[in-house]
Amino acid sequence: MAGRGTNGRHGSRGHAGRTAALARLLHKECIQLLELYRNSESLPSSPVDGGYLVSIPPLVPQLSDAEKISILHAALKECLRLLEDVITQEDAEFSDEDSEYKRKWKTVRDRLGHLLASTEQLLVEGQKFEAKVKEELDGQAVSGSFRLKMWIVRVLQDLVHWTGQTSDTLRSLPAEVEKAPKTMSRRTRRGAEKIRK
Amino acid sequence: MQGWVTLALLLSLGVECSLGQNGVGELPVPRGLTLNPDLPAQTLSLTWQSDSSLFDLEIFHTELMNVVLNETVAVKTDPVTGLHSWTWHSPLPLECTSHSAHIRARNQQSVSQWSPLQTIPGSDIPEKSESNMFPQDKVVPVGSNMTFCCIVKEKEDFKEIMYGRQEMTATRLSRRTYAITATNQPVSGNTGTNVICCSQRLTLTGAVVFVGYPPGDEGLVCETRDLASAECSWKKGRDTGLRMRRSRTKYTLNGRDCLEANERKRWWCSSKAWEQSWTLVARNPLGTVHLMDSAQLTDRVHLLAPVNVTAVEVKAWSATLQWSWSVAAYKKLEMVCQLQLFAHELNSTRNYSGPGLSSVVLESLWPDVDYTVTLYCGSKHGFWKWGDKSAPYRIHTKMDRPDALDVWMWMDSSNTGCVFWKPLSVRKSHGALVGYEVSQSSAEEDGWTPVSLPPGNFSYPIILNNGSDITVAVAARNPAGLSQPSTVTTPAYRADSQLSMSELLSTNGSFVLSWQPNANASSGYAVEWVPTGCSGLCPVDWKKVPESDSSFTLNSDSLVAGVRYTVSVYALSTGAPTLLQRWQGYSQEMTPSQSVRELLPNQSGSDVLLSWKATAMENQRGFIRGYTIYLANAAHLELIANISDPEVQSYRVKGLSLSSYKFVVKAYTSAGEDAGATVAIKMEMDTADMLFVGILVPLGIMFCCLILISICCYKKREWVKKAFYPEIPGPKVPGDWSSPQGPLDVKPSPHSLVHIVESPEWDFTKEGLFPVPEEEEESENDNIEVDADSDEPALLRYYNQVVGDGSHGNQVSDSSGSSNTSVDSTQTEITYAGIQSPTSSQGACGGGGYRPQMQSVIGPAEPQIEFEADFQDDGLHAGYKPQCSWQLDSPEAENFSGSLGSPTSVTSSQFLIPESSEEKPQPSNTWFHNFLSGKS
Repeated sequence: MAGRGTNGRHGSRGHAGRTAALARLLHKECIQLLELYRNSESLPSSPVDGGYLVSIPPLVPQLSDAEKISILHAALKECLRLLEDVITQEDAEFSDEDSEYKRKWKTVRDRLGHLLASTEQLLVEGQKFEAKVKEELDGQAVSGSFRLKMWIVRVLQDLVHWTGQTSDTLRSLPAEVEKAPKTMSRRTRRGAEKIRK
Repeated sequence: MQGWVTLALLLSLGVECSLGQNGVGELPVPRGLTLNPDLPAQTLSLTWQSDSSLFDLEIFHTELMNVVLNETVAVKTDPVTGLHSWTWHSPLPLECTSHSAHIRARNQQSVSQWSPLQTIPGSDIPEKSESNMFPQDKVVPVGSNMTFCCIVKEKEDFKEIMYGRQEMTATRLSRRTYAITATNQPVSGNTGTNVICCSQRLTLTGAVVFVGYPPGDEGLVCETRDLASAECSWKKGRDTGLRMRRSRTKYTLNGRDCLEANERKRWWCSSKAWEQSWTLVARNPLGTVHLMDSAQLTDRVHLLAPVNVTAVEVKAWSATLQWSWSVAAYKKLEMVCQLQLFAHELNSTRNYSGPGLSSVVLESLWPDVDYTVTLYCGSKHGFWKWGDKSAPYRIHTKMDRPDALDVWMWMDSSNTGCVFWKPLSVRKSHGALVGYEVSQSSAEEDGWTPVSLPPGNFSYPIILNNGSDITVAVAARNPAGLSQPSTVTTPAYRADSQLSMSELLSTNGSFVLSWQPNANASSGYAVEWVPTGCSGLCPVDWKKVPESDSSFTLNSDSLVAGVRYTVSVYALSTGAPTLLQRWQGYSQEMTPSQSVRELLPNQSGSDVLLSWKATAMENQRGFIRGYTIYLANAAHLELIANISDPEVQSYRVKGLSLSSYKFVVKAYTSAGEDAGATVAIKMEMDTADMLFVGILVPLGIMFCCLILISICCYKKREWVKKAFYPEIPGPKVPGDWSSPQGPLDVKPSPHSLVHIVESPEWDFTKEGLFPVPEEEEESENDNIEVDADSDEPALLRYYNQVVGDGSHGNQVSDSSGSSNTSVDSTQTEITYAGIQSPTSSQGACGGGGYRPQMQSVIGPAEPQIEFEADFQDDGLHAGYKPQCSWQLDSPEAENFSGSLGSPTSVTSSQFLIPESSEEKPQPSNTWFHNFLSGKS
């Protein structure tokens, strides 16, 4: 996480800069959300056994920046899916009363959607990567309320990790990646237009 | 052979005996022991076959073989299955670790052998290598105890188990299993209480326990709103604390799910049809509550609110109100309705009844009043509760003519007075007044003379032209018309001085009045009260009393404390009111607001007459009961008189000595004293006394003193002479002085000089101390003895001459040197100045200021040693010793420096010039001691 500070560069780097700022903001909010959840549930700060839920190909130096962004985009996409599953499952299992924690959940979900839409404009056409989820939120995997809570923690840990990775990668992008939107696929452009609306 | 058989028999008997003593072998071992765990219930069922009915049971935690149960139980054979069955409830979840059990039959002291161990595996066996915690998601009541176990995954260490935020003490049950017991568990939060098992680096596993209460719902009540369906409601009661969806309370009403309540929206259920009895079941994992209710539909009618409320006819004193019902079935229902009328100080509630009531006439309203009407109804038969309230509806009644005024006339003189009337209240004005009409008639004039007054007026002045009575009629007018006129005839004026008024005492601030009934009071009585002594626009108040009454209580709220009131009772008839009685009194007496006036002291010899005047009546604030007179000292007032007669307004203070005095006079009422008026006086003597004390007494004292002094001087005349005029010894001159070197006929009296020298400065600064004319000097030389003894001015002149020569030392001749020395020896001041400091004395001597007799032959510039040697030579001679030699011989010479200019130095002439050469110097105060001791 070190080095993810404000450097002011994104202001002069256009869309990639704005996306990096968004990723950094989301990363901070994910950290706050994880902290909020741990406090409300009196959970220890030690990591949950099992590692990250989302796995991607290793971000080796040989990969180009655009490829890295594509891979991270795939990971964030899975994170969003997991997050929505968590919200649904938690509302079904526990009280659906409004709380600061619940409001934060929804803020993070919405901002993650915006980040995905924003990074999608940086993707290189034709390159497609997939991320995998080691465990799914099905009956056996999360039987018991405690396992559901641990799974929520793991989803949040993944969110913190992958938004941090994305923020770091976007910050290190050179200026030429700015050209990427020109090669944006028609599908992606449509998606972006939708978001603008 | 026979011996072997016998031995074998004995051995077999011994074995049987030993077996029989141990009880083993007689009872058969129970067969077919099986263990059936119920994991959620944490129970373990044991079944076996045996002919016995008493068994010993032992259950172990298999891995460490810790005995968790060792019990003897009596279990009969199940007649159906032919098996024995017994169930054990484990405090620990059975998954936590493997459990083993065995059993043996018992018959009193005889027991069989243990059956083979039967084991149910736990979740800590090597085949299940992952971490785990038990039990999961248990729902338990508040205050219960519960044991949790954590199975640590293979190759992972164990650190702790947390219950919520609390670290618990864990017990090891097996290689991988640790357990804690939470006691008296508190209610959980929204998502349960977490029990977490941690290793040194990871959160391994955990469980959630939901601690709460069983349902606490109560008070089921069913009613109908539309005379057909039912609505049942109840109170929720205590919060169960169970928020988890599957732990929430579920409701059923008469067996049907209560959707409204299950969705946690409202605590009521509806039913389309009315049933005679209702049962609500509230259930959660911790318990079930059954609530019952039964009633006839007609006894549970809760009407809806009337709608479309309108006033169809509004008058000054009444209005007709109409409304409609949203349920058609209400039209045939016998109902009772309640109307609430809200107006300023005119709130009221009225009841109406009838079948399907939808219209009422509101009577007894007040004109020109804004009413707000609220309406609600209920079933008349089997009234259950009032229905919902209608929306507020506003009615404003019309105006009507005002009521008649309450009029009174007050005469402040024989031919002037004023008509008063009281303002009409809202209830009596019946609309905003626009004015008053005052008419008056007299015996001389026919008809009425009307005058219109604006609504703010409540009085009208009356003037009687020729002393005849007049009658005044007053009426109020509003937009609806004129009120009935109220008439009053001028009463005869009676001044207070013409009446013998009694003092009226108040009771708790009120006046209780009573009077003799009067036959002429055909229209009752009028009680009038007005501040005493008031003139002009006075706050006249009155109250009319029916003729049947002869008493009246004038309440304190219409009186002002500390104000004297004149209260009059009049008999009312068709003619002029007749005064019956008059009083004066205070509703509450207070201390006077001002002190007495014109307090004056008047001295008469040693007496002082204090006189004053009472303060004005408006300042008295109570009946003056007397006066107190105080003498004011520095810190307090000393009471010297208490005059209880308020008419006495003077007091004589007697027997005062010549000094200054302050007197304080205070008037007092029953409430206490006023602040007091203060007057000061300085006592002075009379003329004759002054003459006696001021002149004759001092003269007498002086005369006595003179006589005493004269007697004393006469008796001590010898001593006086010695002390003040001692004999001056003649100079005893040594041989060298035998030949006269100059005129040495001067012998000044030393004690004369004592009187002359009072200040050393005086000598040096006074220019008058210069030589006197020649002829006087000559006469002095001729009569030196006489002058020295009796004529001090002469000596002064001589002394001045000598000093004058000394001050002009350079001009002194040799012949005058001895004379100078002689004179200087008597002048202490000059002599000391020359002696005390060797340097200065040398200078003084050298300068010619002081010159001992031998110095005339020694030049001024002679060394000091020679000078001293001369003195030593002189000391050998008896006779006169000049001061220089004495000063050098005396060990106290230095001490005299401090005596310069002091009285002691003045009197030092006593020892500076002794009577004889053998005489030693005397102390300076010797003459005083002599005087006291009577020596002469």
